Amino acid sequence: MKKAGVIILQVLFLHVFLILGAALKQIVPIPIPASMFGLVLLFLALCLKIVKLEWVEKGANWLLAELLLFFVPSAVGIINYKEIFSFLGAEIVILIGISTIVVMGLTGIIAEKTAVFKRREQH
Amino acid sequence: MIMMILFTVVTYLLYRISKMVYVKMSFPLFHPLLLTPILLIIVISIVHVPADGYLHATRLLTHLLGPATVAFAVPIYKNLPTVKKYLGTIAISITTGTLVAIFSTFGLSKLIHLKSDMITSILPRSITTPIAIEVSKEIGGMPTLTTVFVIITGVFGGIVGPMVIKSLSIKSPIARGLALGMAAHGVGTTKAMEYGKQEATFSSLGMIFAAWITLIWGALLIPSLMTLQHLF
Repeated sequence: MKKAGVIILQVLFLHVFLILGAALKQIVPIPIPASMFGLVLLFLALCLKIVKLEWVEKGANWLLAELLLFFVPSAVGIINYKEIFSFLGAEIVILIGISTIVVMGLTGIIAEKTAVFKRREQH
Repeated sequence: MIMMILFTVVTYLLYRISKMVYVKMSFPLFHPLLLTPILLIIVISIVHVPADGYLHATRLLTHLLGPATVAFAVPIYKNLPTVKKYLGTIAISITTGTLVAIFSTFGLSKLIHLKSDMITSILPRSITTPIAIEVSKEIGGMPTLTTVFVIITGVFGGIVGPMVIKSLSIKSPIARGLALGMAAHGVGTTKAMEYGKQEATFSSLGMIFAAWITLIWGALLIPSLMTLQHLF
């Protein structure tokens, strides 16, 4: 129970950065979402030791571990798009499948080659 | 208010059950992001609640994607020395990954004659939902549809991930993590956690860098691509 309390408090505390991110978005005219600004602000606050890791770590770990849960309602929203449940929908799924495999394979191969190169460089 | 608590609790419980089923059976089509929505669609049709009513009642859960994105600062901070050491690898592989994601999605969309607003909705599919929605809005897509494409990408990536990694014999935790995070965002990162801590770290990094770089492409590359598309 105490653990849940800590997580809730820390998740609430993370909102401070979300709000600051939203404020920054108003000032800086580039199309970046408030949460991304918030990420940068929290990162800087951690680096500059304004925020201690213990203040946010448990809340952040919980949010990241349960990430899938936050996608669930949007996934239910798919029933609003009837055209997806058709031949076109099947084509789109195949499109996404092919592209995802190519992206994953190429990213993996390039990362593997350059990371190995990096390791050799150091020895 | 009662609806809100009720549906949030029901969603959470069904999610927990789906996760347990998935761990026990480890059958790809029982992925929590497929099983939970299917169960929920059954539940809301039985109790005659429209999808929009359900979405409205569970907006707290969707809202948490915001602080969850902020929370990604924590793994980056904790792994700062690793990020610095492998910055080159991350930059090269993720820049290529984002370009391949955009161009292959664009090319295949043209092949199946998708309409323009469908193409702009599907182009940001490889990155994490909150950022994909922003890119989608920016380039003239439909955010709800983008969310659905992002989820299909994630679930598919999570399912084929281990096969791709195995068949291409990608061995380093760095490459495994980056590939999963780049191609399947948060869902890929959840999969990477099954491999190990290092894989999970690099998957988070891959996902964050992919989101950042795609934001840049959304501003610079995609608008010209959409203008030039009639030449193809």
